[in-house]
Amino acid sequence: MKLLSVINKCTREQIRNFWILILTVSMAPFFVFIYYLIIESTKPHYDLLILNRDNGIQTMGATINYGDLLIQSAEEFENDTSEIPLSITKSDNKHTALKRLRTLKADALVIIPENFSEVIHNPDMANDTINTEIEFIGDLTNINYMISAIWANEILNQYMQELTQENKPIKIKETSLGFSGSINDFDLVVPGILILSIIMLMFSATVAIVTEVEQKTIIRLKLSKITAFEFLSGVSIVQIVVGLVSVLLTGIIAHWLGFDFRGSFWSLLLIAVLTSVSIIAFSLILAAITKTVSEVLIVGNFPLFLFMFFTGAAFPLEAKELFTIAGYSVTLPGLMSPSHAIIALRKILILDMGLKDVVPEIIAVVLLTIIYFLIGIWAFKARHMKVE
Amino acid sequence: MNTNQTEDNNTVINISHLTKSFGDLVAVDNLDLRIFQGEVFGFLGPNGAGKTTTINMICGLSKPSGGKIIFQNYSKQNNPNIRAQIGICPQENIFWPKLTCREQLHFMGRMYKLSAGLSKKRTTDLLEMMGLKEKSNVLADKLSGGMKRRLNICMALIHDPEILVLDEPEAGLDPQSRVLVRDFIISLKRDKTIILTTHNMDEADRLSDRVAIIDHGRLLSLNTPSWLKKSIGEGDLVEIILETEKFQRADEMVNSLKKLCKQVKFSEKALIIKSKGLIGLIPGITEIINNHGNKVMEIRLRENTLEDVFIYLTGRKLR
Repeated sequence: MKLLSVINKCTREQIRNFWILILTVSMAPFFVFIYYLIIESTKPHYDLLILNRDNGIQTMGATINYGDLLIQSAEEFENDTSEIPLSITKSDNKHTALKRLRTLKADALVIIPENFSEVIHNPDMANDTINTEIEFIGDLTNINYMISAIWANEILNQYMQELTQENKPIKIKETSLGFSGSINDFDLVVPGILILSIIMLMFSATVAIVTEVEQKTIIRLKLSKITAFEFLSGVSIVQIVVGLVSVLLTGIIAHWLGFDFRGSFWSLLLIAVLTSVSIIAFSLILAAITKTVSEVLIVGNFPLFLFMFFTGAAFPLEAKELFTIAGYSVTLPGLMSPSHAIIALRKILILDMGLKDVVPEIIAVVLLTIIYFLIGIWAFKARHMKVE
Repeated sequence: MNTNQTEDNNTVINISHLTKSFGDLVAVDNLDLRIFQGEVFGFLGPNGAGKTTTINMICGLSKPSGGKIIFQNYSKQNNPNIRAQIGICPQENIFWPKLTCREQLHFMGRMYKLSAGLSKKRTTDLLEMMGLKEKSNVLADKLSGGMKRRLNICMALIHDPEILVLDEPEAGLDPQSRVLVRDFIISLKRDKTIILTTHNMDEADRLSDRVAIIDHGRLLSLNTPSWLKKSIGEGDLVEIILETEKFQRADEMVNSLKKLCKQVKFSEKALIIKSKGLIGLIPGITEIINNHGNKVMEIRLRENTLEDVFIYLTGRKLR
């Protein structure tokens, strides 16, 4: 009954603290929207430059330039594969082409050598001293270069196959895991942002608890028969509801912007609830080390940034494995429960896996939540509920 | 039954050798006193005398460094059942600013395990008694200072405690609210044991059955207000203020006055004379003063106050 009264009181206060509530539930949906705008305006695109230096050869009274034919074949490839965001541009001189690479207006430059036709026309003459070399130029650390180079290589292979009339003995079949073949960059960040919407609870939950300390109403609660567990449970339940509303709004906005929800809704809900509980448990630790709302806003930035940027919530993150437990990799971000929740959501929403496939992640979130809760309740009681 | 047995039976709180230290500072120093059932017990002392520290220990909000607080037959100081029998109105107003008056009283009622119906009834009754009925559905932070103070008192009473602790209940109140609160406290007399802390002598004098005067954590005197006032000498008190700041031939003048009245002393810029039947003596007193080359600007005749008791006990005014 006391728990219901605390829930009732906290709900009223939460609703009347209108701006805190609005900012908490709208932050992640807003984040999704901004992400969508940025990703939509910078859709992946690969610009390939081709510089033809081939002199061509004279044969049967006519000049043949295999370099030009290669460019023509590349342009046909570009037209035939419109789903591939590749642009092929013919360049006239190396200086201009390099300038475009340096100013990031192009991703890769392919230079067809002067003796290209000569070697193609008479392959037998290619030996240790006479051969031809197609040069690929670009920033090797840039992923756009790598993808452009892969496509350039593919175009070259197809062209050589056509010229030599050779059949490939091996064909490669590519099968995507789950829906990973059809997802775009936006789809990739949505699971992280769904968890980010719960991470934002950290401030709201901590403020709800610390306000009792700052306005000294904790004294009234101490004098009544309420236990720390009853009080904190009441606050937590209201915050879980706030977290779920935020996840729901984020999901609706993401869906409206094109994110296709796959996997089980109940699995998503379970992970959202567990993560909310976990963040609230962590908030108890934060509430224990602060006494005022101003302190929460200053001290809280530290864990908030860690949770935002090093769990994969703000952007996908691959971390180095520290050790394994029963075959499950433990990384440094793995000490923060949202990182497991994000992995679980990616498996469910992108790789179309079921609840049984995310059991290790669920166990990790539950274990970390228990640890946060134990530390949080102990520290909160010691700091704010004890008789001095 | 002898007096001691009666006192034992009536004792609600028995404080013995109570001490509280904060590092080198001894806030409460070996305090011994008993608080009886149904009395209004006043703690009178200046700011920092140890009044709030003492009541915090009584309420279980602070642990004594030494000594004991025994509630009737209970000996565990932090027994939750005892704590629930105490209602406290702290010095500063403590409430939830985003809850209405009704909501927070009902919430606190539920926290003290009152049934929903009883909690609602007590909420309505208390709001009416404290003149806050019309503000029932107003958020607490929208109330005026006096109303907030009254709400604070309601919060202390929601669970109908046997012991009510009021820490400076009239602090910051407007005259109208002060009368309301004073009448309310008087209405609770006998039904509840009320512990009052104040540095307002008038408040202590009017409301308290017994007053403990404390300073620097020590109990200086404990008795009824009238007994305390009589203890520093019966009769009236006259305060004489001169036109000039310095008395001429002061020692000679005091010796002459002492032939007329027993107690004559200087307090800051005034001459204080205490005696029975002072009104009849005033002409003689002014003559002596004038004869010594001093000119009287103002004569104030009044009864002894608890402040006089405090000055008598400590040699200084209440800070």
